[in-house]
Amino acid sequence: MQSSLQIRDLQLYRQGKLLLSLDEQIAGGEILTVMGPSGSGKSSLLNWLTGTLPNGFTATGEVWLNDKKVSHLPTHLRRIGVLYQDALLLSHLSVAGNLAFAIPKSNKKGDRQQRSEKIEQALEQVGLAGMENRHPDNLSGGQQARVALLRTLLSEPKAILLDEPFSKLDTQLRVDTRQLVFEQIRTHKLPAIIVTHDHSDAEAANGKVIHLDL
Amino acid sequence: MSQDSNNKTAKHNVNSATNSGITAPYKLDLFTRMVSLSPKILLLLLVLPVLGGLTSVLLPAFSWVPALEQTTLSLQGFNDLWQTPGLTQMVALSIATGLISTLLAFVMSSMILAAFFNSIWLTRIERLLSPILVIPHAAAAIAVGFLIAPSGMFSRLISPWLSGWELAPSGIFPHDPYGISIILGLTLKELPFLLLMALGALAQPELGKKLRQQYKVALNLGYYPITAFFKAVLPILYPFLRLPILAVLAYASASVEMPLILGPNTPPTLAVTIMQWFSDVDLNLRIKASAGALLQLVLTGGLIALWLGAEKIIKTCFNGTLLNGKRNYADVVWQKITAALTTIVIGFILLALIGLMLWSVAGFWRFPAVLPEQLVLLHFQSAFTQMGTPLFNTLTIGIVSTVFAIVLTLLCLEAEQLNKKSISTFTSFIIYLPLLVPSIAFLFGLVWLQQLVNNQTAFFNVAFTHLLFVLPYVFLSLASSYRRLDPRFAHVAASLGATPAKVFLQIKLPQLFAPLLIAIALGLAISFGQYLPTLLAGGGRIATITTEAVTLANGASRRTSAVYAIIQMALPLIGFILAWILPKYFFRSGSNSNR
Repeated sequence: MQSSLQIRDLQLYRQGKLLLSLDEQIAGGEILTVMGPSGSGKSSLLNWLTGTLPNGFTATGEVWLNDKKVSHLPTHLRRIGVLYQDALLLSHLSVAGNLAFAIPKSNKKGDRQQRSEKIEQALEQVGLAGMENRHPDNLSGGQQARVALLRTLLSEPKAILLDEPFSKLDTQLRVDTRQLVFEQIRTHKLPAIIVTHDHSDAEAANGKVIHLDL
Repeated sequence: MSQDSNNKTAKHNVNSATNSGITAPYKLDLFTRMVSLSPKILLLLLVLPVLGGLTSVLLPAFSWVPALEQTTLSLQGFNDLWQTPGLTQMVALSIATGLISTLLAFVMSSMILAAFFNSIWLTRIERLLSPILVIPHAAAAIAVGFLIAPSGMFSRLISPWLSGWELAPSGIFPHDPYGISIILGLTLKELPFLLLMALGALAQPELGKKLRQQYKVALNLGYYPITAFFKAVLPILYPFLRLPILAVLAYASASVEMPLILGPNTPPTLAVTIMQWFSDVDLNLRIKASAGALLQLVLTGGLIALWLGAEKIIKTCFNGTLLNGKRNYADVVWQKITAALTTIVIGFILLALIGLMLWSVAGFWRFPAVLPEQLVLLHFQSAFTQMGTPLFNTLTIGIVSTVFAIVLTLLCLEAEQLNKKSISTFTSFIIYLPLLVPSIAFLFGLVWLQQLVNNQTAFFNVAFTHLLFVLPYVFLSLASSYRRLDPRFAHVAASLGATPAKVFLQIKLPQLFAPLLIAIALGLAISFGQYLPTLLAGGGRIATITTEAVTLANGASRRTSAVYAIIQMALPLIGFILAWILPKYFFRSGSNSNR
């Protein structure tokens, strides 16, 4: 089945005033770029998609994921992963702990063993081999961003949202991290939306670009 | 209302389920349902006992007591009350001690803030005074009583070289008829509380930053420091202090521990008299006592109204002063006065504590000698042999009421985040209700209600009554940290598939570990210090360290009394020390890499 993320007839209001309306379909592996000045509703769009719209905002419309409606579900049942500009790693857990937090629990025997193998492999893949027991606060910005990406991927999401994920990284790191993230999105054939200020993000995403106005 | 964006509450679930036929509605998990119910449970838990208690005092006050076969309404109770000899004195004593001590505590804490705002001394004073906060009123009263007694530390220090006293003089302190000892005790106890409340408000990131900037602007405009504080900081800070001040006022005008230990007997304050009537074997006195409780309610309500009225008047009168551009009101003099006053207060407190320690280990101690002739541990040893049951009661009641208060507070704050809106002003007012209504006025009614329901489980009744007083403090202490949590962590966790319960237990609680421990320590301290609720709800059958300490305070042995006061201070202190140390070892950020 072709995976896809669909936004149907979204009308997003702030304090009763129409902020944006959108109707989009994103296929697996495609990355939709949303650009616009602050206050244009970029972040609210992502909040609506995950079901965490703050007070003062209202919306009509539906989110469909792989031909199933998910917009009536609470955040934790939607299976839409988010990456923010901060890595937001849990500082009371180690790197491995942060990843284990994300891996869905299976009731099979030997689950523990499997989980730690999974974590080991994942870290190796992004050049962080052997960092399981490190504390997230002791990692560099780029390392933290990679752990955050792994954490999202390991939760087996059906779509990924990126909220200006690279804006806190310096230029070279930014290019590398972006490449890694986009590669992973395409390998896993996940529909993705990136919200950004940076035109180079849009170019690298190589997909449809939507400009929001104030 | 949004149909699809916010599906966490039951209401939204119903909305979206009826809006589309295709989607299978999901079942709200147990945790979410529990959480969304919790604010209602909290309200019921606080409103029912307080209002129920008040009503159950109201009816007997008008002579309606079926238990005494009195079922006709009359004003007999009030007639008896008016004819009580010395009633005017009692009322005057309650009003004077309550109002003067609150005023002194407020003025002095404002002066300290003004004189040391933005100076490192403010943090030092805070560190020195914050342990006072955990000292129960009874223990503080005992310590102050020892200090000012004719043979106390104070007269020992000035005898005989200054006073010429070779024998202990016959002074009026404590128990002076004017209530000066009570005022002294209350002021010393409430001053640190108000000061720390103000510092707590200043610790809020946005408010603190704003006020410090405004202060700096005033200084740059040429305002002298103290004037700058009163003109540019206090007007904004005061609203955050109003509730603590009113709670202090309500407490001071109706408390019984301090007046029992430091106050006069002929006549005592109104609250103490009411308590004596209620515990009299003559049940007919209960009608008069209930009428007295109503009078106490009016008295405290009147003081609160008076304070709020004075606030308005001061605001109007000083509005011009605020804008007159004058930059200096003898600032240098006030600075010196405040520094001297602060030194005296801290010296007074230290001296009182040292005196208490000395008495607890004193052997023979002749009058003008500053130190006892020998130091013995005998008093501690003999106290410990009798302390088992009271200590056990104190701890178990404290733990039960605190755990319950913490769980309920956490669920309510979580409900606030799930509903994405703060609890209503009404709810937050209700949470502070037990702090504003004089406990003597509703506790007797509450006890009567509890006896209607069951009269066997004194332990449960005491723990439940403690909860009423523990809950507001726990809520106050946890709310700001909970509301300051970065919501994105919860969003990330939820987008990783974590259920609300998992987010609560594995994300929020570990992040709140340190404030949670502080709240627990505070809850325990509040419960440990309760005197009247323990005495009344337990029907005198539940002895705690605090009830024992108050009973012993007016008894024969100063040494035993000192031991109990020290134990009373030590218990909450241990709690706070643990709350301070544990976060350094668990859930600390930055260094648990070897776990």
